[in-house]
Amino acid sequence: MIEKELAGKILREALKTGADLAEIYVEDVTSTQLGFDDSKLEQAVHGADRGAGIRVFFGNLVTYAYTDSLSENSLLDAAHAAASAGASSAKTQLIDLTERKSPLVYPVEKELDSMRIEDKAAILHRIDETARAYSPLIVQVFGSYGERVRRVWIYNSTGLMAHDERTFVEIRMGVVAKKNGTMQRSFRGFGGQKGLELLDDNDPTAVITEVAESAIKMLDAIPCPAGEMTVVMPNGWGGVLFHEACGHQMEADFITKGTSAYAGKVGEVVASPIITAIDDGTIPGRRGSLRFDDDGTPAQRTVLIERGVLKEYMWDLVEARRVGREASTGNGRRESYRHMPMPRMTNTFIDNGEHDPQEIIESTKRGIYIKQMAGGQAELAKGDFVFNATEAYLIEEGKLTAPVRGATVFGNGPAVLKEIDMLGNDLALDPGMGICGKGQSARVSVGQPTLRIPKVQVGGTDEPVEGVMG
Amino acid sequence: MTDYLELAKATVNKAAQNGVEVEVIITQDKETQVRVSGGEVEQLSQSGSGGMGVRVIQDGRTGYAYTSDLSDDSIEQTWRTATELAQVATPDAYRGLPDPQPIPDEDLEIWDASMQDVPTDRKIELLRQIEQATLDYDERVVATQWCTYQDATSHVYLANSRGFGGQYGRTTAAAYLMAVARDADGHAATAFGVGASNFFDDLNAEDIGHEAASKSISILGGKPVETHVGTVVLDHFVGAQIIAAISGALTAESWQKKRSFLLDRMGQTVGSDMVTLLDNGRMKRGLASAPFDGEGVPTSATRLVDEGVLQNLIYDSYSARKDNRASTGNAQRNGHRGMPSLGPSNFYIQPGNMTRDEIIAGVEKGFLVLSGMQTGGIDPVTGDCSMSAAGLWIENGEITGPVDGVTIATTLNDFLMNITAVGNDLRMMPLFGIIGVPTLRVDHVTIGGS
Ligand SMILES: [Zn+2]
Repeated sequence: MIEKELAGKILREALKTGADLAEIYVEDVTSTQLGFDDSKLEQAVHGADRGAGIRVFFGNLVTYAYTDSLSENSLLDAAHAAASAGASSAKTQLIDLTERKSPLVYPVEKELDSMRIEDKAAILHRIDETARAYSPLIVQVFGSYGERVRRVWIYNSTGLMAHDERTFVEIRMGVVAKKNGTMQRSFRGFGGQKGLELLDDNDPTAVITEVAESAIKMLDAIPCPAGEMTVVMPNGWGGVLFHEACGHQMEADFITKGTSAYAGKVGEVVASPIITAIDDGTIPGRRGSLRFDDDGTPAQRTVLIERGVLKEYMWDLVEARRVGREASTGNGRRESYRHMPMPRMTNTFIDNGEHDPQEIIESTKRGIYIKQMAGGQAELAKGDFVFNATEAYLIEEGKLTAPVRGATVFGNGPAVLKEIDMLGNDLALDPGMGICGKGQSARVSVGQPTLRIPKVQVGGTDEPVEGVMG
Repeated sequence: MTDYLELAKATVNKAAQNGVEVEVIITQDKETQVRVSGGEVEQLSQSGSGGMGVRVIQDGRTGYAYTSDLSDDSIEQTWRTATELAQVATPDAYRGLPDPQPIPDEDLEIWDASMQDVPTDRKIELLRQIEQATLDYDERVVATQWCTYQDATSHVYLANSRGFGGQYGRTTAAAYLMAVARDADGHAATAFGVGASNFFDDLNAEDIGHEAASKSISILGGKPVETHVGTVVLDHFVGAQIIAAISGALTAESWQKKRSFLLDRMGQTVGSDMVTLLDNGRMKRGLASAPFDGEGVPTSATRLVDEGVLQNLIYDSYSARKDNRASTGNAQRNGHRGMPSLGPSNFYIQPGNMTRDEIIAGVEKGFLVLSGMQTGGIDPVTGDCSMSAAGLWIENGEITGPVDGVTIATTLNDFLMNITAVGNDLRMMPLFGIIGVPTLRVDHVTIGGS
């Protein structure tokens, strides 16, 4: 961090050419990453990144300059560079900086240095041994351990002074299984915004056993039928569908430009009445949680859709100012001090419904149940989405039958949201590995209960199926 | 002015005591980014940044640490941390630094000396022209998103304890935007336009704007076709996603770790005779070109598949030592923050001599795929290949109308075997590496629709 007095001096410099708002963002990130592959601990990497970005607002023009050094001279140079777009004399007065406190508590019960690095490495050795012992069909195993502490300080000319500290731990793992020339991959992991207590709540050897089991099951999978089908999506990570196909379209930068299918639709029915969707940046332990966002705005819980009706978008400071909103929704996030913030999701999920998840499968005559899936991708404006199922089963007469491989599910987010006809009562957030890419990467969570889409396009290499409705 | 190569060498010397092998990379970049919307500048960012990464290898064990802070204290802490971290790694006799080799003295044309002198106003003007060209193309283009220009002048300084010391500079300039099209019937479509080069003057506003605009309006109102097995013609954006996955199956690492759908098929026919795949780290004006790779080995050109026959893989020094052969100079690096890792440089399918129009004219019934999305559906390990697709329907060699809401699926094996025409319009796409593809015709693809 930098002293209040120095921050004031830098901000005054940045305001000199007629800006209406100036901001300093200071960041200090340390991280350790261990990578295990091919029965060897191959990667042991430590990183230290520290720097600051100066952002200056002239109406809708935002200028930015950053520096790797926190020395007074470097900061003044950056302030000078960012202010150089202005042409008049100072018109905004710096208000005295006052530190704001957040009531939000994100506990780190076991500090990252409470465990030796050798013991962290030993977790990865154990994952490898467990998977290989599970079956000779497992031909390759990999795992990684990552920890990261990100400290940010934000000072701006409205007198704001805010600090956030975000601690993350995560473990990822995967296997390759092979039988008669057929290969199958499976991945999983867990993580969160917490300390090493994460390891008390999750057993890596139990997770890798599930991963190995899943890959081996999928070796015998039949090619996925192609065509329109009923699809049952899993709780937890299945929420990536809403994140990609609808969530991004509710980010304010796509709203103010008119790119989004949801622009100008607040108050309208945009989803089935059983759907309530929420972005909540205040959930302890979750990857997307913040005390203050990277604009210095307090994190909050925002109801996006309530019983099918669009209520609110996700705003950052720039987009809120553009439309004259009093405040953002605390969704301004940035990848690092080398980036400017933009509206991003935090922890985004579809809220609970009423159905027993088992009942959803039982009432489906024919379709596909997705158990595990890779991330998703979606197109703006229309909201078409695609994701790839890594573990999926046919549903026949209300029962899970053959595993299917190569299933790509493709549909239109806004349309699917209106069509979802069964929503489970088993809301869960994902296991904590989500990374959202929107030009900049950001840690996020997604979630949902088990849900059913009556009709959606499934791509596969097998012949089309008939009679898809459940 | 700091002499960064000297600083890298001095750090190597300090850290290399006690018989460890050491490699130090320093990067220094200057970057400009501009974003325009509705003719107005929205964002302007201009800065310099850099840092140091230290790789230490002791008894076959590797540790790595990096820092953005080049003060003496921070540098010492960084190499000490790397040395400590090496203790955690598993010993591996094949781990080691490469011996220094002479770097060919050749102008790769990756440095635009005038880039730094291009005034910011000129960059802004170019971007405004791109946006204008997009919006003026057709009244159905209603908005643009992410209309962005960015450039970088980057310097890399690399030294190691085997005596290597080298540096180079590379410039890149890129501009891109997304066009949003809507028609009177309420249909919407989006498409990207992209231009990227080592030289500022190569960026052409009309090309970038028209690509985004023409693609977005051409697929407006597209409908699914019936599910069937048929012929597809793939645009650069689509072909590049598939070729990128195939490049991942042609690294020595993917073979050594048994993660390639092409495993153990060296010398065999893996594609049609139209398929020649190359990796060339010395391509003139190649966005991934460099005189030496991420560990100081001279880059080279490697023919991986020759007229359908698998002939070679790409190597870094580790995988090469394991296979008892020479590195192809394919150790890639993500600036100073990443350890070297094996990957393609400028990887491409050799162009043929047909124009896209000639390829389309030869298709009786087929699907010209202009955009596609996939997330893990194209897998270099399993060889699965499926994605969502939008584009234009072809009937008797003529475009008849837009298609949307379908999936295309094949396997990577079948994809390579069923390439029946290769265009002359090679384009190098900046996409998880630099991937070059011309227009491709592929037969026997499952098109999943209604
Ligand atoms: Zn996302």
